[in-house]
Parts: sequence; structure tokens; C-alpha cells
Amino acid sequence: MNQIESIVLREKLIEEIYKIMKKDKNIFFLTDDFGAKALDKLRRDFSERFINIGIAEQNLINIAIGLAYEGFTVFCYGISTFITMRCYEQLRNLSLFAELKEFNINIIGVGTGYSYELSGPTHHCVEDISIMKTLPNFMIFSPSNEFILKYIVDFSIECKKPKYIRLEGKPLKKFTYIYKKKNNFSDGLSILKEGKDFYIIGTGNMTHRAIEVAEELEKYKINAGVIDLYRIKPINSELLIEIVKNVRGIITIEEHLLAGGMGSAILEVLADNQINLPVKRFGVRDKYLYAYGGRENIQKICGLDKGSIVKDTLDWVKKI
Amino acid sequence: MKKKEFLRFLKEKANFIRKQTIKFHLAIPETRIASSLSCIEILVTLYYGKIFNFKNDRIVISKGHGAISLYPILIDLGFLKNIKIENKKSLSLLGSIPDINLPTINLINGSLGHGLGQGCGIAIAMRMRKLNGKIFVLIGDGELYEGSCWEAIMFAGHHRLDNLIVIVDNNKISMLDYCKKIINLEPLDKKFQDFGFESKSINGHNILDLYNTLTSFKKSSSKRPKLLIANTIKGKGVAKLEKNPLCHIMSLEKKDVKEILDKKL
Repeated sequence: MNQIESIVLREKLIEEIYKIMKKDKNIFFLTDDFGAKALDKLRRDFSERFINIGIAEQNLINIAIGLAYEGFTVFCYGISTFITMRCYEQLRNLSLFAELKEFNINIIGVGTGYSYELSGPTHHCVEDISIMKTLPNFMIFSPSNEFILKYIVDFSIECKKPKYIRLEGKPLKKFTYIYKKKNNFSDGLSILKEGKDFYIIGTGNMTHRAIEVAEELEKYKINAGVIDLYRIKPINSELLIEIVKNVRGIITIEEHLLAGGMGSAILEVLADNQINLPVKRFGVRDKYLYAYGGRENIQKICGLDKGSIVKDTLDWVKKI
Repeated sequence: MKKKEFLRFLKEKANFIRKQTIKFHLAIPETRIASSLSCIEILVTLYYGKIFNFKNDRIVISKGHGAISLYPILIDLGFLKNIKIENKKSLSLLGSIPDINLPTINLINGSLGHGLGQGCGIAIAMRMRKLNGKIFVLIGDGELYEGSCWEAIMFAGHHRLDNLIVIVDNNKISMLDYCKKIINLEPLDKKFQDFGFESKSINGHNILDLYNTLTSFKKSSSKRPKLLIANTIKGKGVAKLEKNPLCHIMSLEKKDVKEILDKKL
């Protein structure tokens, strides 16, 4: 697969938000004093609708609730760990208000997984899927590439519900032909590569790992397809089952705790639909990492590097 | 109506709503009666004193557990139809903490420390839409232990949210003790003033003071958010509650309030 140049998802997402804020005066952008290059333009041109709340995530979400109650669409921008966990009860209040009324609040969390590779476990974000998934009325998006971002922004305006958009913080490789068929965004997932024996499901940055693993497995005569799961909640279970029903098993890869993560959501879909398929989950075991020395090093420690995943998959394939 | 008659009307309404709130509590003893009795004059002045304009203004009730007196008010004003305090069955539709579907209320919180920030968001939205109304936020003093309140107080002061009127039901008792024994909040007005608020401290059961202060806040041209410290008595009107720092978790029986309920207005 051709890989050229890299892309920083948040920059691209903010560019899309900028375009839409230019047309639509009904949008606010709040940040907890967290920035990006692309934000400068937004801050300059929409000085009234861009508010730096300060390092106060609880207040940020409460203010978003007030604005959204009055009919504004709100984007809330911050580091994924803090914009989900520091203000979790505020998000829960939003979730329960949204049961009764429309609240269009879009939480953008930047720096999922081990994006902050040097900052240690306070900045590692390996619980966000699990805790956000449990909140009713929230949708969760976990894009792996820039094609999806425009759709996410368009959808954010159109669908007046709370959403959590989780973004990898580091540049990602840009794929030239990631979607072979015309992708339908509302599907929530996309086949990047058809598979006969297995399907590997990735989300966010780990979709890229899934592609590498699938390519490597070809060398061992294992034909594995790749699914990019960019909407984690709700999962399109019908389409997912349709795709995987004839393969021998499923492999899930996420830079997130195994407990309550994407892989566990896949297990739920299969179990709830009486689909008896072997599943191998790759993710972070039940521990925090005081590990530095770069992303690859951290991924190696938790068995999420290409080599470990291929090796463990080959072992697993022999057993099933 | 002359002002004197109007004030008498408000006082009578407050007595009526106090009785009705107690009756409501007797029917549903799980409700927090002491906390609801301290803010009756505040709510009556807002709702019957034409301070709170249903059309143009907004109201966020942050101390949701202490707002069951909203039920008799909204029933009396005709917003809640087919519900009678005397009819236990119809009351079963109502929770011990009112929810945001309640008419005239914009947001209401069961969990503490959220209403002030939400009110700031509404204030910004109203300013953006160039709406003239005010946003009232009713909070409790014990609630101010939540750090999120202070995040919102800093924000309101810095952004000069002059359409925001915060009312603290300063009943001085939290769930387990007097606030001054837990962490002393005084001087409360000074704390708010330092963050850019205009503030006034009054007797929260004195309808005239409430009416005058809220009216002057509504008319004020100062570019600052406003704070009304309503000094109240938790459990106001019920001797058994007034004297007890644990009154927050106390329920009443008919004999405790027979005298109040029997008293003619």
C-alpha cells in the first residue's frame, strides 16, 4: 500500500470546522487552553465565538451545556484525557439532559492512546472509549484518516446529540487509496481490504497498524481483511456481522485498555447476535505504563507493535 | 396594585407555598424539606413578584433537591395541570428532584456545582443573540464547596456577564453540619466581589428586601455579574428543623407541622 506524507488529524479537523464556522454563525468553539496551529486562524476570525475557558474542563462542559441549551452548536476542544475524565460528571449530566432535549455538543479529545509518549501515564489516554461508551446518548467517532473528518464535521452540525471525537495526537501516514469503494460515512465502518480467512478491526491510529499486520500475514499465507471502525458507538452491528460472518475469526487492535475498549464492544456485538467466532483482542492489559523512549518502545512493551501482533496472531491461528 | 398591597400579596403567597410545600413533603417524605423551606421567599419573589419574566429571562436551579416548592408554585400558576398536592397519585409523577422538563425552568441539577457554569453558558448565548433578558441561577451555600462553582465565578467576572444574577440561598447548613464548622465560607460577598461581582447581602425571608434588590439588579447598568446573598434559615417555619444542624436529612410528620398547616392565612 502506498504511503505518502503525513497528516495531523486535529489540524485538518480544525480547518474543516473553520470552514463551517465561516458559513454558520451558530457555532461556538471552546478550548481548555489547549492549542493547535490551525486554531490561530479560528481564534482571530471568530473572536466572539472562540472562547478559551482556561484550564477548567468542568466549567468548559457546563458552559457548553448552557450554550447548547440556547440552540448553539458547540465544539469542545482539549487533551483527550482531561476533556473526558476531569469533567466526567459534567459529561454525564449532558448525557442525561440529552435524554430529554437537544444538545449539540461535540467533544474533541486530542492525544488518544500513547500520543503523549514522553509525558507518562497522567497523559496516556487508554480509558476514554470505555468511559465514554457507557454514557447513553453519546456517539463516539475514532477516525484514522483525513477523509472522514469532513463528514464528521458535517454530521456534527446536522445531528443534534452529544458526540465524542477522539483523535490521535501524532502525525499519521496518509493513504492514497484507503477506501477502495465509495465509502458511505453513515456506515460507521469501512472495509479497507477484503479478507477471506480473517478480519482485522482497527480504530484510530491502530487502523494503520491493522493494515501493516494484514500485509505481513500475507507472507504466512493468511489472507486477512482490514476494517476501519471509525464509529465506535453505535457500532453498525448489522454491517459488521454481514462482513465477518464467513471468516474464521476476528482480530481487534486498539491502543486502549482491553477492559471496555473497542475489542470488548466487538465481543458484545458478536455475543448479542449469537455469532460464534473466535476473537483475538490486542490492546493494553490491566496496567499503567511508566515507560518512555518513544511510541514504538511503549507499544512494544504492551505487545502492540507489528512484530508482537503478527507473532501472537500466528500462535492464536494454530489454536483455533 | 399599590406596592404595599403587592407586598402583602407576596407574603401571603409565600405562606401559602410554604404550607403547600410541607403538604407535598408529607405526601412524599423522601423529599428534602429543610432545604426547600429556606428558599421559598426567593422563589415566590421571582415567580409572583414579576421579577422572573417567563418569556425573556432564564432560570437555572442548581440546588435541585431543595426546590420541591417549585411544584406548588407551578401548580398554583397553572403550569402543572391535573396535579394536586392533595392527590398522592398525581404527585407520583413528580420526583424529589425536579427535572428539566418542568415548565418555566430552563436547567435544573440534582448534582451540585453545575448550575453556575451552565448559567454562564446561557449568559454568553443570550449576549450573543442580543437578548435583553436575565439569567437567574439559584445555588446553595454548601454547594460552593464544589470547585466547579469557582471556575464559573472566575469566568463570569472576567467575561463581565452583566446579565447573570446569582442568588445564594445562604442557609448556612450543609448535610451534616453548619458550614462554618466544615469550611468557613465567610466573608462570602468579599470573595465574589474580588472576582468581579456586584453583591448585596440581605435577609432572604424578607420579601421587600428580595424584591427591591432583585429589581435593582435587573435595572442595573453596571457591567458586572450580580450576586444576591439571601441569608436564610434552613427549615424556615418548622421549629424542629430550624434548630437542628442535621435538618437536611430530616423528614416531618403531620404532628410536627399541624400548627402551621392549621394556621389561617
